[in-house]
Amino acid sequence: MNNNNLPTAGLEPLTRRGFLRAATLTGMALTAGCASLGGRRTPNGEAVYAHLSEEEARVLTRLTEILLPTEQFGLPSSTGEVPTVANINDMAGDMAPQTRDLMAMVLWIFERRPMASFRFSRFTRLDDEEALRYVRAMQSGTFFERGLMTTLHTAVCVNYWRDSRTWPGLDYHGPVTGIWGVRRLGNAPMPTA
Amino acid sequence: MSDTADRIDTVEMPREGLAVVQASDISSERLELSADVVIIGSGAGGAVSAYELARRGLDVLVLEAGPYVPSKDFTEDFTESLETLYEDHGGQANTDGDLLVLQGRCVGGSTVVNGCVSFRTPDFIFEEWHRDYGLTDFTPESMAPYFERVERNLSIQENRPHEIARHSMVLSEGARKLGWSVKPFKRNIRECALTGHCLSGCKTERKQSMLVTYLPWAAAHGARIHSDTRVDKVLTENGRAVGVEGRVVDRTGRHVADIRVTAPRVIMAAGAVQTPVILQRSGLGNDQVGRNFACHPSFYVGARYPQPIHPWRGAMLGVYVDEFMHPDKGGFVLEVGGLGIAELCMINEPGTGKPFVEYMQNAPHMAGIVTLIHDHNVGEIRWQGDHKAIHYQLSDKDFPSMMASLKAAVRMHLAAGAEEVFLPSSEALSVTREADIDRQVDKLVNKPQHLRMVSYHPQGSCRMGTDPAHSACDPQGRLRGVEGVYVADASLLPSSLIVNPQVTVYALANYVADRVT
Repeated sequence: MNNNNLPTAGLEPLTRRGFLRAATLTGMALTAGCASLGGRRTPNGEAVYAHLSEEEARVLTRLTEILLPTEQFGLPSSTGEVPTVANINDMAGDMAPQTRDLMAMVLWIFERRPMASFRFSRFTRLDDEEALRYVRAMQSGTFFERGLMTTLHTAVCVNYWRDSRTWPGLDYHGPVTGIWGVRRLGNAPMPTA
Repeated sequence: MSDTADRIDTVEMPREGLAVVQASDISSERLELSADVVIIGSGAGGAVSAYELARRGLDVLVLEAGPYVPSKDFTEDFTESLETLYEDHGGQANTDGDLLVLQGRCVGGSTVVNGCVSFRTPDFIFEEWHRDYGLTDFTPESMAPYFERVERNLSIQENRPHEIARHSMVLSEGARKLGWSVKPFKRNIRECALTGHCLSGCKTERKQSMLVTYLPWAAAHGARIHSDTRVDKVLTENGRAVGVEGRVVDRTGRHVADIRVTAPRVIMAAGAVQTPVILQRSGLGNDQVGRNFACHPSFYVGARYPQPIHPWRGAMLGVYVDEFMHPDKGGFVLEVGGLGIAELCMINEPGTGKPFVEYMQNAPHMAGIVTLIHDHNVGEIRWQGDHKAIHYQLSDKDFPSMMASLKAAVRMHLAAGAEEVFLPSSEALSVTREADIDRQVDKLVNKPQHLRMVSYHPQGSCRMGTDPAHSACDPQGRLRGVEGVYVADASLLPSSLIVNPQVTVYALANYVADRVT
């Protein structure tokens, strides 16, 4: 793939270490916790999340569509059957305020980053091919862009495949102790010497 | 000091669980406690110290910042475990954000969430400590009684044939084809149930972590354990420790109470990141506190095989390659490790969109190798006024070792029959035949956010030695510049071990405890 046409010029340089680290922390926080279904829907069917703004939810939903075209592979839909964005929403509700603010900043930047190179278009307005090109450009961009993209990529993918409905497709067994009825040993005996 | 005979005569231990004072048990806004010894941290160093001192008759109080999670509450869900059992919810990272530093943060510390791998300190590491740091008391012979003691107490034994999972069998064959030395791990486990969920805590207490061994034993000898208790400072008067102060914070982050403990001895066992941070906040120790941080930066090198492997089935860690362990032979170790779905999402970048979904669909055909190098102590832990900072970048001196370990891991995969080996990079790079190893791996450069690294073994930030100009602690684990403060965790290690450090930390903690006066 030729990356020469991809968006790098004309954008604010984003190389501050602290911000990059924060993005990573946000990503890790996004990968942890959150198991339940969240969100409700408006009368026109659009999901509403308690802890994500409309724009954040749109960005994450679009990113999920781009990163995980699961239905093409006969896997549960990453935006319908498996509540990937709702899982992230739940996590956002448990985040410390500082981490939550950082997540907002990461998503804000990600949404606007392509404007210089894609006809002033935001990420959520790119067509599938353009959106994929944008994501790939970020993955091979500056160290900040690579970090940001790795973070979001991991967050979305983990919050899809952590759902037990995806496991049969991978032949993954999930927790087994209860299923197997493994006996507990309790505390180890006190040493004799 | 309490009477030894009285305490030993009254030893009783519950069959399951542990008596721990948690935030939910605290009803007052201020706790005032006293003890003969206060121990900060309940992991490998803290728990062993607590037991050894309590059985001597000392009144021991253990303060743990993390929560108490009994084994039965472990979920076997790694993403959830990151949230509940790990430091910073699994997000502890260096300042560049490209190195995750995974540490347990719960009663029992990292011993609850590790892979059970149990190595003694390699002989050549003791030689290095002797030569470079004047630590003449530490030899394989002098430390043997300590190793034997913890190995016996923790049921450490070599993996038996049924504990070698398919991933380890396949990769053993690859190593043998290459003529490399490959051996079964020793692990601290009883009757392994082969569930494969070690990193989420062992739900049935088969892993002999501190949660089910030294902590209940210490408690049976009278040691008290408080969880949810974050120590802010070590208190001193006239150059002597007099106790600690901190806060009790519940699991939602609510400040429940202030705590102050009066004690003439303080043992720091909060781990190689937190121990120097607490000492720096307290203004204690020399300028070596926080320096010399090493972390065993690791790659997880995954590969796809033509046959199903199911890397989550069976004992998580089966065999290791020690062919290159000695620094003269490369200075790295390859460990065959299982992995779950969440880890598969994190370790590789096989491509975006369809290629990633295809990669995940091949999950049952994946196997992995963890690389460990003998990194130099180039990092630093700093308290920045309101937060900790882990300054660690892979040094140019260590980069060749990392690349050598990666190339060896790729070779081993290919020799074992792998179809495609994924390189641990932010780019989608892989190798499918031996002739391409150098060309592909040499594309990797030592720059931030290019390599995907994890540290499971932070160490060295309060290292011991005979020279005060280059060590924070003396050879007996005493912090320099103040009386009554000891360090008994991986912070003490003067150089990185190259192997998993838990047994070394147990032995060192026992050694230090024997010297607490």
